[in-house]
Amino acid sequence: MIIAEWKPIPELVSMLKGHKSVLLVGCATCVAECAAGGEREVETLAPLLRMALKTEGVSVEIKRKTIERQCEWEFVEALAGEIEEVDAVLSIACGIGVQALSERFAHLPVYPGVNTTSLAIREQPGLWTARCAACGDCVLGETFGLCPVARCAKSLMNGPCGGTRHNGMCEVDENVECVWNLIYERAKARGELQKLYEVRRAKNWSNSAHGGPKRMLREDLRP
Amino acid sequence: MSAVEKQGEYQPEIVVLYCRNCLTPGIDPPSGVLAAGGIVAKYVPMPCSSKVEPSHLMKILERGADGVEVVGCPDGQCGFLDGNRRADKRVTRLRSLLAEIKLGEERLCMNRGTRLTSEALFALAQKRARAVAGLGPNPMKGVNR
Repeated sequence: MIIAEWKPIPELVSMLKGHKSVLLVGCATCVAECAAGGEREVETLAPLLRMALKTEGVSVEIKRKTIERQCEWEFVEALAGEIEEVDAVLSIACGIGVQALSERFAHLPVYPGVNTTSLAIREQPGLWTARCAACGDCVLGETFGLCPVARCAKSLMNGPCGGTRHNGMCEVDENVECVWNLIYERAKARGELQKLYEVRRAKNWSNSAHGGPKRMLREDLRP
Repeated sequence: MSAVEKQGEYQPEIVVLYCRNCLTPGIDPPSGVLAAGGIVAKYVPMPCSSKVEPSHLMKILERGADGVEVVGCPDGQCGFLDGNRRADKRVTRLRSLLAEIKLGEERLCMNRGTRLTSEALFALAQKRARAVAGLGPNPMKGVNR
């Protein structure tokens, strides 16, 4: 899922100052799963913002709404009525949702209420860890299902760096396991260590962010 | 008009959300409003302290309560295994947010107890009232939403 976390409240307050009425919009999909932007978070953030604005001596009406997905036009359209009653929007969806609202309701400022951080899995309750970097040339088939692009601090493609700790943790963050150690252990458990000696084709990085904005076209799905 | 305004002087309004299992068995769970000793205590019994959602706590403060006291069972004695710990973690996070917006983290707190009487719950409300005394009335008091 796409994960995100709240921006600091003072940053949100500074965005909203000067507006009369703001629509706080949640998204019931990815950001709801990571407890940052769903209906529960809307219901918590709205009173928090009202109190924060009051303590700053500012009066801004905060309306609230949560839609199923902010990244689908059909769901975004459901906001058209409420949008007429406000002069700004605060979205706590991922960056895709914020941009969708901003595109559909271009006459209004749409502010991001969260920082979108990664494509992650809920590893444990309350702990999300990155699993995919959307690099556009998946190598999971060659790395025993463990992604060195997203899970190695240096995105190394050919084994661990010299800084791996003796306990198998990353030198950059002692709470993160060295993914190349994990790859080695999984290969060993499967009895396929020899596969790590294989010379692999060069990875096509032009499909990642290095290649500029991505665009996917499927003629068979187009009207 | 609230009890606070009727008397013409500031009386801290404290909402006490408590787990019923903290009470002395057999006593009637306090509910409703009790104005005494210079404070107004509002009691909300719950089946477990973990029933408090962050949104509930924020809305109570947004509606003008001066303080909120969450009362749960002692650590390791939750009838639902770890409900009181979950409540404690939520309260801890919300306290940091209240500090961030400068409303005062002392406006929200969690305490533990077992075999509590009505008087003991009221004493916790008084303790919260003392803790928020320095902050003054909640600035949200009387604000129309």
